[in-house]
Amino acid sequence: MTDRIDLLQGTLDLLILKALLPAALHGWGISKRIRLLSDEVLQVNQGSLYPALYRLEDRGLINAAWGISPEGRRAKFYTLTARGRRRFAEEKASWRMFTGAVEQVLGSS
Amino acid sequence: MSALTRLVRRTIALLRKRELERDMEHEMQLHIEFEAEELARTRGLSRSEALRQARIAFGGVEQFKESGRDARGTRLLEDLAADARYAIRTLRNSPGFAIAAAITMALGIGVTTALFGVVHAALLEPLPFGDPAHTVAVWSSWKDFARTWISYDEYELLLEQPRLFDAVGLYTVDAQSLTGSGEPERVHAAQVSHDFLQAIGVAPALGRAFLAAEDVPGSNDVALLGYALWQRRFAGDPSIVGRSIDVGGRPTLVVGVMPASFRMPLDYTQSVVTELLTPLATTAADNGAIPGPAVTLGGGSHSFYAVAHLAPGVTAAQTNQVLRDVTTRLTKEGAYPPGWHFAMTAIPLREQISGGIRPILFVLLGAVALVLLIACANVAGLLFVRMERRRRETGLRVALGAARGRLARQFLTEGVVIALAGGALGLLVAWLGVAATRAWAPASLPLVASVELDLPVLAFALATTLGTVVLFALAPALAATRVHPANTLRDGGRGATSGRERLRARQMLVVGEVALAVVLIVGGGLMIRTVQRMLAIDPGFRSDHVLTMELSLPSSRYPDARVASFFEELRHRVDALPGVRRSAAARLLPLSSEIGDWGLRVDGYTPPPLESTPGDWQIVTPGYFQAMGLRLISGRTFDERDQTDSPPVIVISERMAEKYFAGRDALGGRVQLSRPNGPWAIVVGVVRNVEHNSLIATEKPAFYALESQWHAEVGFTPRTMNLVVSTVGDPLALVRAVRGQVRALDPQVPLAHVRTLDDIVQSSVSQQRFAMLLLDAFAALALALAVVGIYGVIAQVVASRRQEFGVRLALGATPDALVRLSLWDGVRQTGAGLVLGALAALVLTRLMHGMLYGVTPTDPATFAVALLVTGVVATAAIYLPARRAGRIDPASALGAE
Repeated sequence: MTDRIDLLQGTLDLLILKALLPAALHGWGISKRIRLLSDEVLQVNQGSLYPALYRLEDRGLINAAWGISPEGRRAKFYTLTARGRRRFAEEKASWRMFTGAVEQVLGSS
Repeated sequence: MSALTRLVRRTIALLRKRELERDMEHEMQLHIEFEAEELARTRGLSRSEALRQARIAFGGVEQFKESGRDARGTRLLEDLAADARYAIRTLRNSPGFAIAAAITMALGIGVTTALFGVVHAALLEPLPFGDPAHTVAVWSSWKDFARTWISYDEYELLLEQPRLFDAVGLYTVDAQSLTGSGEPERVHAAQVSHDFLQAIGVAPALGRAFLAAEDVPGSNDVALLGYALWQRRFAGDPSIVGRSIDVGGRPTLVVGVMPASFRMPLDYTQSVVTELLTPLATTAADNGAIPGPAVTLGGGSHSFYAVAHLAPGVTAAQTNQVLRDVTTRLTKEGAYPPGWHFAMTAIPLREQISGGIRPILFVLLGAVALVLLIACANVAGLLFVRMERRRRETGLRVALGAARGRLARQFLTEGVVIALAGGALGLLVAWLGVAATRAWAPASLPLVASVELDLPVLAFALATTLGTVVLFALAPALAATRVHPANTLRDGGRGATSGRERLRARQMLVVGEVALAVVLIVGGGLMIRTVQRMLAIDPGFRSDHVLTMELSLPSSRYPDARVASFFEELRHRVDALPGVRRSAAARLLPLSSEIGDWGLRVDGYTPPPLESTPGDWQIVTPGYFQAMGLRLISGRTFDERDQTDSPPVIVISERMAEKYFAGRDALGGRVQLSRPNGPWAIVVGVVRNVEHNSLIATEKPAFYALESQWHAEVGFTPRTMNLVVSTVGDPLALVRAVRGQVRALDPQVPLAHVRTLDDIVQSSVSQQRFAMLLLDAFAALALALAVVGIYGVIAQVVASRRQEFGVRLALGATPDALVRLSLWDGVRQTGAGLVLGALAALVLTRLMHGMLYGVTPTDPATFAVALLVTGVVATAAIYLPARRAGRIDPASALGAE
């Protein structure tokens, strides 16, 4: 599995927020979407998704509600709250700054 | 998200715990199924293989559930609930410990809460004025009179300070008789200027305030009723407004009713409730010879109280600065003689009303905090013992991987459970304390008597309860988790001696409790000495077996000339009653009123420059000296020779004889009581000084004049007089008979304030007595708690050294030596506690300085007694458990466990 990399500490929250940006998803949908968006490079440890979801819910960044999945199954769907959207914008900016800085360090000879 | 909404969300999560667990399970299972379906579809795996791989990819479900629970933020609460359940279960297993700890905390928290209730009622509860923080009482002050009446001229002076005050009210107080329908009744009344209610910021509950046009003589037959009076006498009938009632025999129009909370500013200090307001309607004579702003010495009599509302942004300090400048200027301009030290001061109402009790309450609050500390120390001692017993359990749990913080939290939760139980029981104690305070608070402290267990007090109780947990449970909890599992598990409780460190913590508790008890007992002792010293003061009269009551003759039916003959007739009737020695009447009773002075001229005495010749004026009927047991020093008292038309005579006090008749015989001396060309009164007797204003004030020159002669001398007759009846037996047994004689003479004369002279003397020290009772109760409670605590610690120390003592016995030590050893340990700690306590008391009792009389805060005798009492009681508390060291059986001690 050398073509897949584990997530950096703390980036999972960012990815979940990003995955939920366009539409509500259930847990498996979120993990699928993250894999798709990263061309299967980023491997979310599937189980660890859930504690992260509960933590985000506890902080009021996402909401959860039961609904029916496209497959016709009863599933819990997560949506971004307004607060979650704001947080995503902030996290994205700071992530960019962070990776930019790391890039700059690595790029210097 | 605010902390509050998060808390709400978590609480909901907690309540829906089972549902959430189910959801979590469902969600994770669904995930695995979706993943399996995807694997089956994309890789063509069999269903069971796909499920297997999906499970592997997902990871440990239980592990994620666990961290999922943590992530919900309800973990702490869940743990807390589990800890509380565990604590309650273990406490239920040792009911003796639980009950002892809860009762101890209940006593500590209960008395603290009750006293906080008193402080809250007296110092924090808002006063029933519109803007009490910016309302001031304004007083004049003179040499020898710190706070006294102001004159109308001085009132005008205040009115001219619009930058300082936006409303100034003037008033006087007295009592009025309500006659007409129903029993004649005497009520406390005030005569107020029309803008008075505006100055104190209170509006009538019904009807209207006085108009300016009603505040002039001739148009002032209008009244505002107090709420209680309205309820009592007029059954709360709103149509009373606009009707006429009889006040002092005059028909008076009721224009309104005051709210139930209404009090005059002076009501608090004079412990009365004013129930009737009428307009002040000052006369030209009251206002002084010169109308308008000029201030003169003759500017009306100094007989008014003033209250003012400060203009926006003005402070009392600024006001006092301006008033000082004004009075200094006036004195320079010659309006008042410089030697009189005329000044005016503005005192915030809060300070005037409870300024006197504030330092006492702070001392009491400090004392009760010490009691609470002792209670905490006791429970801490019990917890140490308990933790000791649980060392193996704790060690085992640490060995099995329990985090120390988690363990400490669990022990703390046990503390919270104990504290909450103590707090709940403590409310009962507080309720009793509040009930007792309401019943026994001195009449001079009406705000103290209004104490109740209201919301702020209950909030305080809860905060105290939780606060005590830190005090009594933190140290034992931390100590308990500082275990080395290997050691505790290995020695299995068979260690020959208890760890020195652990013993020391408990021994420190003994030292601390003894020290705290000493401080409280010294404080209580100093108050006992103070009250003893005050009551030992000879007031100059005999207070036992004297009945007193106040009578007031309405001017409508008793012209001045008739007043003296009424009292003469009454004296004959009362003197004839069986059990009466002697009866008489006086204008004022000592120790229940402030006596004012009268400007005199004494033949042959010239006052020093800038001074005058004042004398406190007491108006009496013949027989007063005998009824009050006033000792005659020379000459005679009033008798049959002294009639209305006979030459005026006076009796003077020893102090007056010394001052104005120094070096000559006072008897036969001449004193002029009024206008320069008025009659001279002859001094016929000199009597002992009387402590009139207070037991501890310095006596001023005083004179006694006859009721029957006073009118001829100065032009008016006091018509509110106090009957004093000296009796053979219990004075209160004669109340009915004396009242009957008054009624027989005139059923319309109201009488009030029926009490014994002893009661009056006692209530003059009521504040000191109140402080003494509370401090002594706290000291007794402290000593009792300390005894229980010390007993417990020593008993536990002896028990934990059982095996060591067994070895010593086996090696030849005598039982007596072991008792001595145990006793000596405790006595050493007690000694250290006594020294520490004495040192602390030396510092702390200084705070009591203002409360003490006739005894210094470092009174050696009080300290000696306090140290002796504490030392003896503590030693007894040590000796009882120490004796057990001598009864240890070496065989069973060594074989135990």
